[in-house]
Amino acid sequence: MHSKALSGDGAVFQSRHQPWRSLRNLLFLGIVLLFGACERTLERDVIVDNLIYGIDTIPVYSSSAEKDKLKTTTQFVSTAYSQLYLRPIPSETLNELSLLRSAHGDKNLIGELVISHFLADDAVLATLTTETEMNTDPEAFVEQTYLRFFLRLPTAYERYALSRQILSDPETTVIEVYRAFLLSNEYLYY
Amino acid sequence: MKRRDFLRNSSLASASLFTAPFLLPSGRAFARAGSRLVNHVVFVLFAGGIRNQESVDMGYLSTQGAGSSGNILPNMLSGAVPGGSLVHSPWAPALSTPLSQQGTLFRNLRYASGPTGHYNGHTVAMTGNYTDTGLNLNLNPDFPTVFEYYRKHSDPMPNARSCWWLSTELGPYPSLNFSRHPEYGALYGANYLMPGYGLGEAAVQYLGGLQTLHPEEANRVKGIKAQLDGFFNQGPGQVSGVKNSDQDNRSIQQLYLDLLSGADTLDLPLPDGVPSYLLTGDGANIATGWKILDRFQPELVVINTTNSDVCHDNFSEYLVALHKADYAVGWLWDKIQQHPVLANDTLLICMPEHGRNLEPNGLVDANGLRAFDHTSDENSRDVFALIAGPSSVVAQGRVVGTPSSPVGESIDIVPTIAHALGFLDAVPSGMLPGRVLDEAWA
Repeated sequence: MHSKALSGDGAVFQSRHQPWRSLRNLLFLGIVLLFGACERTLERDVIVDNLIYGIDTIPVYSSSAEKDKLKTTTQFVSTAYSQLYLRPIPSETLNELSLLRSAHGDKNLIGELVISHFLADDAVLATLTTETEMNTDPEAFVEQTYLRFFLRLPTAYERYALSRQILSDPETTVIEVYRAFLLSNEYLYY
Repeated sequence: MKRRDFLRNSSLASASLFTAPFLLPSGRAFARAGSRLVNHVVFVLFAGGIRNQESVDMGYLSTQGAGSSGNILPNMLSGAVPGGSLVHSPWAPALSTPLSQQGTLFRNLRYASGPTGHYNGHTVAMTGNYTDTGLNLNLNPDFPTVFEYYRKHSDPMPNARSCWWLSTELGPYPSLNFSRHPEYGALYGANYLMPGYGLGEAAVQYLGGLQTLHPEEANRVKGIKAQLDGFFNQGPGQVSGVKNSDQDNRSIQQLYLDLLSGADTLDLPLPDGVPSYLLTGDGANIATGWKILDRFQPELVVINTTNSDVCHDNFSEYLVALHKADYAVGWLWDKIQQHPVLANDTLLICMPEHGRNLEPNGLVDANGLRAFDHTSDENSRDVFALIAGPSSVVAQGRVVGTPSSPVGESIDIVPTIAHALGFLDAVPSGMLPGRVLDEAWA
């Protein structure tokens, strides 16, 4: 049994540790190791930028059709964090955010809030491409953004269409584009 | 008036009778298809494994040979409170008239089949189908949940914000807001919230200072996302969970952010003078359920209480948890009856997910009281159900069923809800083996 009580430090509710966290962590570790191994195995010739973990970013997928499995909550949180902060997520942060996401039924709704938290962090803002760079060479920005979040290169039409959409509205920001990628259906899959 | 003008005006007036929306007492523009008894149902799964000995039998300590009998659920049941040798601190009831007097008590109702496990019991109560085999935890149930029946078979289809499932714990319980049934699933699921984590310390830490997006920014993001989604082809069966409309998404986010920032606060189910640290997880869950009811007036809400599961090793704390959960239920009903939309238009159903064994398990608490498990003996299949509502809808003060002649089963709650909300006739035959608990109606 896990009982909760009003917290004195401002939390609406205070929660206790739940024992199945450990199992979840082990599962996640296994998934991360497996995923990392796949990334090495599928290395291609195209090397665009140093984005993830200071390692050359490479396309893991040749097309979106290869993504047919839903990310678990821990996979979603950890990949979003690492692709924005460019470093692995601390285990405590992963635990807390995974539980937070699990506690809500509409994953898109809570995902928007978690991503808003990430995108408001100075550490993430420091990694962003500038609006000037985006608008000067939108196709290069689109390609980098596809690689950063979808781990693949855009098709020619995807590159053209998104570049055109960015240029069509001068108010569009880099954060908005990143937010849209992180909230997209494709981002839910691996 | 010229004849032509008269004909035109009279025909317009006649047409408006058919096209103008009819405002109902609840503020809803149109009545839904199907005859409804009420427009709101709140189902409190009074769970954790509750023996009838300590609930409707009012045995208190007498079954242990350790003290008096008496009623520790004074908000739900009529009966004299324990006279002495108390192991709990009595709270004055939130209700002057117990719920059993504001509705019908099914005193002995059967959990007839399958293991008496917590998740099994929840699944049975929320799907209306017994689960005879072991369940894979963290998998959505095979049979549709009451939320899916409600959304799929109500016309017009209600949005996801119209139904909620709130649980005191995570574990497998988040999976009960929709099923894996191929004809139903997430498209018809309910919103889910576990307040302890969803609005807990981490939520305050990470989300407390956020604001919802400016509409123009949200529109630009939506446009880019729509383009990205247009290039990604996954079948409708691959959706990742329940999705709210954009408008509902914003309103639910606003509720969460209001609570996390302190702009809005929860009313707590505690008597005057009782400090907030005595609030249980059950109380917190019901408090959050009330906030959602108050703000959104959903038509179908399922909330559970589970703290009484401490009975595995502490019978005294089991009684305390029962007493506090009873207070929270009474407090919730009192709130509902003060609400301009919900009052006199809401059905409240309470039922444990299963009972507990007749024989103790060998553990003894600090008061020398023996503890009980729930391992599918006959006693653990004996539960009660309480249906309260407006006197025009629900028989007041009626008691049906006896230990030797039980009335109703756990699988009957879903068809009863479906009947009350007017969509039972649209549910395909064979999906719900239970029956409507017609004994409850006035």
